[in-house]
Amino acid sequence: MRTLAANIEDVFREAAARWTLVAYFVLSSLFILIFALAVNLDIVDGALAGARLFGQSVQMGGQRVDLDRLVIGFESGFSAFLYVVGTFLAIFATAHLTPRLQEKGTIDLYLSRPVARVRLLASRYVAGMMLAASNVVYLVGAIWLIVAWKTRVFHPRFFLAGLVILFAIAVLMAFSFCVGVLTSSTGVSIMTTYAIFFFSAIFAGHEKIEAAMAHEWQAAIVRALYWVLPKTAELGRAAIALVGGGRVPRAMAGSLTALPFTTTAAFGLACFALAAWLFQRKDF
Amino acid sequence: MADTALAARDLRKVYRSITALDGISLEVHSGELFGLLGPNGAGKTTTVKILLGLTRPTSGEAEIHGIPVSDPESRRRVGYLPEGHRFPGYLTARETLSVFGRMSGVDSATLSRRIPELLERVRLEKWARVRVKKFSKGMVQRLGLAAALVHDPDVLLLDEPTDGVDPVGRREIRDLLQEEARRGKAVLVNSHLLSEIELTCSRVAILRAGKIAAQGTIEELTRRESRWRMAASPVDDALLAAFRETGAGVERQNGHLLLSVRDLDHVNALVDRLRSRGASLVELSPMKSSLEDVFVGLFRPPDAAPASGSKGEKR
Repeated sequence: MRTLAANIEDVFREAAARWTLVAYFVLSSLFILIFALAVNLDIVDGALAGARLFGQSVQMGGQRVDLDRLVIGFESGFSAFLYVVGTFLAIFATAHLTPRLQEKGTIDLYLSRPVARVRLLASRYVAGMMLAASNVVYLVGAIWLIVAWKTRVFHPRFFLAGLVILFAIAVLMAFSFCVGVLTSSTGVSIMTTYAIFFFSAIFAGHEKIEAAMAHEWQAAIVRALYWVLPKTAELGRAAIALVGGGRVPRAMAGSLTALPFTTTAAFGLACFALAAWLFQRKDF
Repeated sequence: MADTALAARDLRKVYRSITALDGISLEVHSGELFGLLGPNGAGKTTTVKILLGLTRPTSGEAEIHGIPVSDPESRRRVGYLPEGHRFPGYLTARETLSVFGRMSGVDSATLSRRIPELLERVRLEKWARVRVKKFSKGMVQRLGLAAALVHDPDVLLLDEPTDGVDPVGRREIRDLLQEEARRGKAVLVNSHLLSEIELTCSRVAILRAGKIAAQGTIEELTRRESRWRMAASPVDDALLAAFRETGAGVERQNGHLLLSVRDLDHVNALVDRLRSRGASLVELSPMKSSLEDVFVGLFRPPDAAPASGSKGEKR
């Protein structure tokens, strides 16, 4: 437990000292500030004033829309945006954790302590997740507060988006750790993790891609990649569906199944297991 | 003999086609200062890294206080100062010792007592709250020593501990290591500085191309059993001739006789001849070489001229 605490402290101190923590929160704050300014536009104020005057509904496209429904719609749509922003920022802020640990002159100091290698790696991972979680809570919490303050609609399901974002970060960070252990390069870790995020999203339409393939073996490869890689697009849709509850389109609600979560979790576990195995076997 | 703190048996390490270690066996006992010497690439750092579990041996085994080095628990009682270590520059000296102390399992109460003591021992007490990135090389080295001692280990593995340290600081580090050895700790020092090792260590192993070329106490390695220095009175040519008749080599040097003999019996035979001629023995002592002579002797190319009579205890 002391080891874990010391590692977490070390990771946070390093993040603060290297401006990673500051940049991470400044970028998030900038995003929140732009959002706050956007919702303070006259047009938004006018619409909301009208809604308060006419029984919590606003005029949109020639018909009146319930304010509650509008907020939920906005928050569920916005959760997909936060999913991308939150995940990218987290990977950017934590990709250095294993490459820096493995630097010559540094790794000896850590491994000469009575700590098993897997435990050392896991404690860095936990510290990275805590760093990411603090930012996700800040980002989602601040947006929720602004919307609640502006509309007086308190919609706690918005926080479910935070859980999906954290889940995606946990899986992608495991991948980033695996690349970090293998290459000892922060740059490569960031690039490959972003690549896997986009590449996996393409496979959301795997059925159409498979149908376009000339041979069955090509289609089998596409299918295999779809099942092996994390379901980043499905997770984004799941965030929307979770936040929206029953008020999202049927197609969107239909994507909320356990399968994207279980297969993505399996990918994350496999990546972390591989990272741990490589780290355990490595000669320093 | 004190108990064995650290033992390595027949360690081999092969990197692809390169054999870095080729059957290293050594033991370091509690209360002993042991020096590991050798030129670059001889396998010193690989040996230390295997002892710490940083690198796995291709074959052979090593243990610390009976615990195999593959078990992280073996490092609970080990303090390590790596060469070219890089403490996080954003931590202060105090924070560095706190973080690495807790990683070694030391509780906060013990650390709050031990950290000021250690900083005082390595003369960094005034720098306790200064970030490491402001430190000079010598100061970082002294902090590294404090970090190696922060959990009060029984075994110390130190890679070039005096690297970058001024002469006064070097002396202080030597004193500190000797004090730790007196307290019963086993200290293994890996260094290029032969004079430092000679001044600090009681026993050394000299590595050459992944093998132990010589091992023993400084006394054993530097004693030249075949060379003796004699002072006698009177010394005349007849006496020298009598000595030479026995097959001994005799040279005069600054009022002394330098004798090359076969063995101890041969020395005694010369003393008998001296006395039988009525001369008095004033001084008789075995000649010693420096550790550097032994080292150079071991690494001299076979066709090179021998250094002035130096000889190590070759294995």
